[in-house]
Amino acid sequence: MKKILSIAKWEFVEKVKTKTFIISLILTPIIIIGFSIVPTLLSTEEDTRTKVIGVLDITGFYFDNIKDALEEYKLEDGQPNYIVINLYKKKYEQGNNKTSADKHIMQKKIEGYLLINMPVPDSLVAEYRSGSIGNFNDLKKFEAVLNKIRIRKELLNSGINPDMISSLQKNVQIEQIRIEESGKEGKQDFLIVFFSSFIFIILLMMMVIYSGQMLVRSLIEEKSNKLIEVLISSCTPDELLTGKILGLSSLGLTQIFVWVLLGLALVGGAVVPPEMFENILLILLYFVLGFVFYTTLFVGIGSIVTTEQEAQQITTYLSLTLMLPIVIAMPAIQNPDVLILKIFSYIPLTIPSVMLLRVNIAPVPVVDLLVTVSIMLISIYIMIKLSAKIFRIGILSYGGRPTIKEIISWIKSG
Amino acid sequence: MLLVKNLTKKFKNSVAVNNLSFNVVPGKIFGLLGPNGAGKTTTIRTVLNIIKPTSGTIIFNGKPITNQFFNQIGYLPEERGLYRRSKVIDVLKYFAELKNLSSTKAIKTADNWLKRLKIEHYRNKRIEELSKGNQQKIQFITAVFHDPDLLILDEPFTGFDPINQQEIKELILSFVSSGKIIILSTHQMDTAEKLCDEILLMNNGKEVTSGDLGEIKKRFGGNNIKLQYSGNGEFLKSFPGVFQYESYSNYAELQLNDDVSPSEFLHNIVDKIEIKHFSVIEPTLNKIFIDLIKEHPI
Repeated sequence: MKKILSIAKWEFVEKVKTKTFIISLILTPIIIIGFSIVPTLLSTEEDTRTKVIGVLDITGFYFDNIKDALEEYKLEDGQPNYIVINLYKKKYEQGNNKTSADKHIMQKKIEGYLLINMPVPDSLVAEYRSGSIGNFNDLKKFEAVLNKIRIRKELLNSGINPDMISSLQKNVQIEQIRIEESGKEGKQDFLIVFFSSFIFIILLMMMVIYSGQMLVRSLIEEKSNKLIEVLISSCTPDELLTGKILGLSSLGLTQIFVWVLLGLALVGGAVVPPEMFENILLILLYFVLGFVFYTTLFVGIGSIVTTEQEAQQITTYLSLTLMLPIVIAMPAIQNPDVLILKIFSYIPLTIPSVMLLRVNIAPVPVVDLLVTVSIMLISIYIMIKLSAKIFRIGILSYGGRPTIKEIISWIKSG
Repeated sequence: MLLVKNLTKKFKNSVAVNNLSFNVVPGKIFGLLGPNGAGKTTTIRTVLNIIKPTSGTIIFNGKPITNQFFNQIGYLPEERGLYRRSKVIDVLKYFAELKNLSSTKAIKTADNWLKRLKIEHYRNKRIEELSKGNQQKIQFITAVFHDPDLLILDEPFTGFDPINQQEIKELILSFVSSGKIIILSTHQMDTAEKLCDEILLMNNGKEVTSGDLGEIKKRFGGNNIKLQYSGNGEFLKSFPGVFQYESYSNYAELQLNDDVSPSEFLHNIVDKIEIKHFSVIEPTLNKIFIDLIKEHPI
């Protein structure tokens, strides 16, 4: 036992000190969080300045309404969001009107302008012309305003009471409420579900790839320079294996710990929505199970492969299976009962990441939790046994990579 | 005392060690000799309990060798390897802990050894920053710093310059006087000749000869002379009474037929060539080795 601890300590300390570890520890979450929240931040960011928007209304019916409606939008500080100016000049032909309006954009006098046209009676065609592809939020507002005006106009034409129209035009907004096991209501936002699962899956994958490669690389190093013989003449292969898994798992836990702290700090800083951490205990459970499972798997593989290229290939492919849930995430979020998700919930390679996704989508039945956790625990146990057998013989077999047949005979002989 | 009895190790399609028996007593260096691929390393690995023998027994100090002897064994493998990116003292401490030393004792012992081998200034350097010879010294320390009862050295001198070789040789000899059981495996016969008291010469997994080095030399002694001369000595090859003739750059070694005495031979050739040096010699282990391996072809 003392030797196992010495080995674990060595594996942990020597790896914690490496620059790559420190970099991956800090950079990985920053990159991932950056990737996932920056687009959301950017696209939902409210305008902070007043924009000058032109309107070129060829029909001549709409300008006033548009101006009134758009100028109702206010910035946070109470300033109007838009200043609307009329670009229509009677003296110009239609073509000239456009040219002169376009010129306004070039000269940056206006952000852009709405071109309202009525090619055939009763049809309203609008263009938003601007120097850059328009802000998504602006377009949504313009669309809403135009639709409202058009509908109002049509309704007025058919003689409906204006008050009635106003009341009809009040928007109903739908808020999604997820009912949780405890009966309490939770606000569900697709993006948050998706990204929080996504982030945890990516973190798990990065960690598995990273530490798997580190483990395999150190095994290959020890094997290629025969260090393994010195080690095996000082302790049993099982002690060595256990020590390595222990050391590496503590390394993984350290990483998780730092990342969780980092995440909590971001929640505190209101950068990350606290919803991400709603299911943190379950997430951590599957995270750790997944990490330990893959680590034991890599020990077996590490004792078979002989070159670093081989190692890299295999570790990368294996870790990619963790990515699978990302592919099925969309249908899964839309319908958590989809069959494929259920199937993947019973395969040890995919359980961790699928469950990371499932716990965030909908409350997972207790039975499913018990079944998946049991499958993981049993797989880890079997994997340790198998890897130990392969390890015992594999670490001392030099030369070419053994065939599948040989490996099976090792497992049987153990 | 280490007793190896009827040791056999078979691999999938080869027999690496075939019914090998030998004893190693404390206070003497036991040389395990043989050409590359003779089965020396496999023999060592079974003695170290790294691999299980197919059959045969290994008894160490009266007990079959098991994992409980880990801490009493020191092993210097033929191929050297250390954690290149780690610090000297960290590596030494780790290996000492694996030999069951407490961490404070590990550091103390490691420091003593660094001092003893005059490399204490590398204590906090990374292994990869050290020269090859100094890396070898570190590896040597890992084999001996826990004061093992059984010390197995596989090619201990490769990679050392003559000065360091001398230093290591003296160290090994000091272990002899402290009563350790020492197995030295090598294919460098001159090294073995200088250090070993007893040898086992093996080839193709089998024993070729074994025993006290002096006796083996006597047994294979025969009539050997060393001759230095000027002029053409080619005729000696077919000269009556000459069994074997080997010429080197500035001298020749001859083995005479058993019925020819060296002085008689000298008498016969003294007129035919200008002799500068003439001596009766014991055969070198190297020669015995080559002759024996030739006699026991694969």
